[in-house]
Amino acid sequence: MRKLNKEEQHIFELLRGVIDPELMVNIVDLGLVYDIRHKPAEEKIEIEMTLTSPGCPMGDVIIEDAKHLIENHFRNFKVEILLVWEPAWNRDLLSEAGKKALGSI
Amino acid sequence: MQQIASQNAPSANIVIPHFAFGSLAWLTATLLIAFSPDAFTAHYFNPKLLAITHLLVLGWISMIIFGALYQLIPVILDVKLFSEKLALFSFFTLAAGSLLLCFTFWNFLLGSTLHLASTLIITAVLSFAFNLFKTARNSQNKSIERDFILTSVLWLLFTVLAGFTFALNLKYAFLKPEHLKLLRIHAHAGLAGWFLQLIIGVGSRLLPMFMVAHNLNKKKLKTAYYCINIGLVLSISSFYLNTILDIIFTAVLLISGVFYFLLYLKEAYTKRVKKNLDTGMKQSVLSFASLLLACVISFILLFFSHEGYSPRLAIAYGSLIIIGFISSLILGQSFKTLPFIIWLKVYKKLIGKIKMPLPKELYSEKLLNLQLYLFFAGFFHLLLGIILCHQILVTMAGALLSVSALLYTLNTFKIILHKPQHHEKTK
Repeated sequence: MRKLNKEEQHIFELLRGVIDPELMVNIVDLGLVYDIRHKPAEEKIEIEMTLTSPGCPMGDVIIEDAKHLIENHFRNFKVEILLVWEPAWNRDLLSEAGKKALGSI
Repeated sequence: MQQIASQNAPSANIVIPHFAFGSLAWLTATLLIAFSPDAFTAHYFNPKLLAITHLLVLGWISMIIFGALYQLIPVILDVKLFSEKLALFSFFTLAAGSLLLCFTFWNFLLGSTLHLASTLIITAVLSFAFNLFKTARNSQNKSIERDFILTSVLWLLFTVLAGFTFALNLKYAFLKPEHLKLLRIHAHAGLAGWFLQLIIGVGSRLLPMFMVAHNLNKKKLKTAYYCINIGLVLSISSFYLNTILDIIFTAVLLISGVFYFLLYLKEAYTKRVKKNLDTGMKQSVLSFASLLLACVISFILLFFSHEGYSPRLAIAYGSLIIIGFISSLILGQSFKTLPFIIWLKVYKKLIGKIKMPLPKELYSEKLLNLQLYLFFAGFFHLLLGIILCHQILVTMAGALLSVSALLYTLNTFKIILHKPQHHEKTK
């Protein structure tokens, strides 16, 4: 991920509150968040993220949850979630905490 | 936003009746085992065993599969279900047909009641197949999982039509081969053609997803597909020709198909990111051990079919597949799918507005664990009772399985009847 500014880093930390209900790990530690763009001039926040699988039954729930969470903290901003499949998610994107939670280490 | 698979899911009201009816049919079947142990110690072509088997394969297993497929097909094929009304129609006809067929076999009524029950089942299967093929036609997905699922539906059609023909033949005897041979064709088309291929098609998509396993070699699935289907077509001809070489060749093909699928699952298991398996997944893993044991018994049956104990082994073989493998898989996987379906139904519109429970909090983990242990204890007693021809053991098995089924049913209804819990969001 590119270097985030202070606001974007704050959003990144807030997204730890979004849990994948199947894996019981937050989307940041799962490595699902690829980029965050905080655009004060446009009053817009863009979050680029993926899912562990396109068939994920809870996909739209995770996305909606992330959107509502950030909207609640940035009430004047329009939050847009951009779902991407490239690069495809893989285990290397897991944080150490994510690996530990899944029993991978 | 890009389209994602879960947005194609049908209304939960289509899926819920299937799980509710299926769990009650499973409970009823286990009670019938407890109160009719003689069904498992006599020759396998007996009215009570026919009734229990058909309640299991239609009222329980096919019912849950129909419901699960109506939910999963849109996810697997990235397209909406063709008709929800038709899905409800197939539910009612399958429910009525399976109950009537069970009653008919139990009382061995070979006349119009049997024909009515068969007609209801055929109607249910035709409407299910039509719905699925129309849905698949609207999809761009051409995966091997899709091929497995659609081919399995064709084998289901063959199975029920063959079953209806044999039912007529029981009364009018217009077919040449003997009943037991026809029964084997009917049973193998159903078990390997319908259930096994359906499980491979759905399982090869869902199990890696639940274990979070990626980059799997799908060539193994393609090999499994050809082995099973060529094996099945040859097996039907070999049952007619009855040459041992043909039968062995087809058995090798079918078992190779199973073997390649298990290799695929082993790869997923090895590459899985989620190392901690929950109870539902543990039961699923154990169910495949039953499948392996059934493959071993099928070979013993081939070489020792003339021995006196072969009818007992045949019942053990059928029980391993229907109860040990398929039922066990459903018992585990129900808690990987139903809580999510209900959770989405209840909470989808409340996301971000209230603090929500997790899907796994919709059922009791304690009951699920107890259900698992009782199931394996009951199934072990059942196998022992069949092999030793011991009715008390079968009764004990039935009692243990009934308690396990009761816990499953309680947990299923706890999920289905879940009401939203309103708490202000604090996070």
